[in-house]
Amino acid sequence: MSVKYIPVQWNPNKWAYDAIMLAGVAAFLWVFLYVTPEALSHERPINPQIHNARAFGACAFVMLTVILCIGPLARLDTRFLPLLYNRRHFGVMTAFVALTHAGYILNWYFAFSSSDKYVGLLYANASFGQLAGFPFEVFGIFALICLLILAATSHDFWLKFLTPPVWKRLHYLIYAAYFAVAAHVSLGILQDQQKPFFTLLFVGGTGAVIVLHLMAWRAGRTAQTVSKDGAWVEVARATDFTEGFARITQLANGDRVAVFLLEGKLSAIANACAHQNGPLGEGRIIDCLVTCPWHGFQYDVRSGRSPAPFTEKVPTYRVRVMGDMVEVHPDANPPGTFVEPVPLPPAPDPEEPQPQEEAPA
Amino acid sequence: MDMAQALVMGIQAWLVIGALVAAVFLTIGIDRIDEDARGAYIFRPLLIPGVLLIWPLVLWRWWQIETERAAWADRYRPVRAGHGTAAILMSVAIVAIVIAGLTVRQSWPADTAPVQLSEGGDR
Repeated sequence: MSVKYIPVQWNPNKWAYDAIMLAGVAAFLWVFLYVTPEALSHERPINPQIHNARAFGACAFVMLTVILCIGPLARLDTRFLPLLYNRRHFGVMTAFVALTHAGYILNWYFAFSSSDKYVGLLYANASFGQLAGFPFEVFGIFALICLLILAATSHDFWLKFLTPPVWKRLHYLIYAAYFAVAAHVSLGILQDQQKPFFTLLFVGGTGAVIVLHLMAWRAGRTAQTVSKDGAWVEVARATDFTEGFARITQLANGDRVAVFLLEGKLSAIANACAHQNGPLGEGRIIDCLVTCPWHGFQYDVRSGRSPAPFTEKVPTYRVRVMGDMVEVHPDANPPGTFVEPVPLPPAPDPEEPQPQEEAPA
Repeated sequence: MDMAQALVMGIQAWLVIGALVAAVFLTIGIDRIDEDARGAYIFRPLLIPGVLLIWPLVLWRWWQIETERAAWADRYRPVRAGHGTAAILMSVAIVAIVIAGLTVRQSWPADTAPVQLSEGGDR
């Protein structure tokens, strides 16, 4: 949080997360290599290089599938949020596993000719005009490049340097990568499967990713709020607010605003954390500071500023109470602008709405 | 073969340029545009692979920060709107490619004995 960069920010939770992840990778490879050769059509003799290549390839596919399931799961059910916190380490590990898979392939199938092995990889199959026998390697190469870009830009520096929106757009490459992996498998190893186990694993994994993403997308669409009077946007009724928590609303331009109730007064800040655009409105206030549920960045909800010595800032918004309805103005104040909190009416009376004064910007 | 060689040479050139950008950016540029990087050196080698891969983006952002061209609000505008589109496109494309892959899948007798189609070359 705006202190000198270090290579990796470790803490006990991240150590535990990474230890479980590494143990999972080791267990998967062990099961694949030594326990299930018959289920995976390995009864026909294959040499260790091919066996290892398939093990690491399958492991990378499963890891990528899990990574892509974590995001929508966390959006659908907050109990999955802890899985999200350290997903970047998961992604870096996946890139290394995929790179190992590529290394085994490259150093077995393309390493024994007089030509350069990288040229051989691109040249060996050029049947781009047909589906059966299509050079599925290109999908694997594309997916690997995407994974390497995502892993190489996972340090916090890149978030700040590129800005979260650009960084997020760059990391949308994960979707293209997953499609490329699906194509790589569909037109590659799936063509050679005589037993249904791997096919079912593959179709089940991709199906889970698709269903979860579509469910999360549908859930997100229901949270639309319409602008009122062409300006002020309704957030929620005064009675809907809980001390120490926020209500989130979406503006017409797609931005989200989190309106917090702190000590009986309302304050509004952008819902997007300055770190990785995490949902600040899902965090809880402790000592005037809301803590981002994704990575623990903190902000004063009245000013949108992180406590010293940190320097992160998020935009603030004006709030007003009309009758029993809390409203927010869609024009964001520059990040770190203090806004006087607006008192929440103690007992809303639906029979006699009593508009309150507008908060100064 | 020519096309494959040209592609490999293109990738090599991309990485060489990336290395030059990394050398300049990580020794001079990063200190100019990010106060949190001043005095922090151990993490910088971790950035080299990223600069090698996306050096045009690095140069663009470096120029943007130096010339203060980016609007402050852009940093706080999440790109959720594109998320649904990306998820739907990915889903449709995966369904299509999996169906295509299963459709063209062929099966053949696994126990067929190998047949030598041509004479082997002299050793």
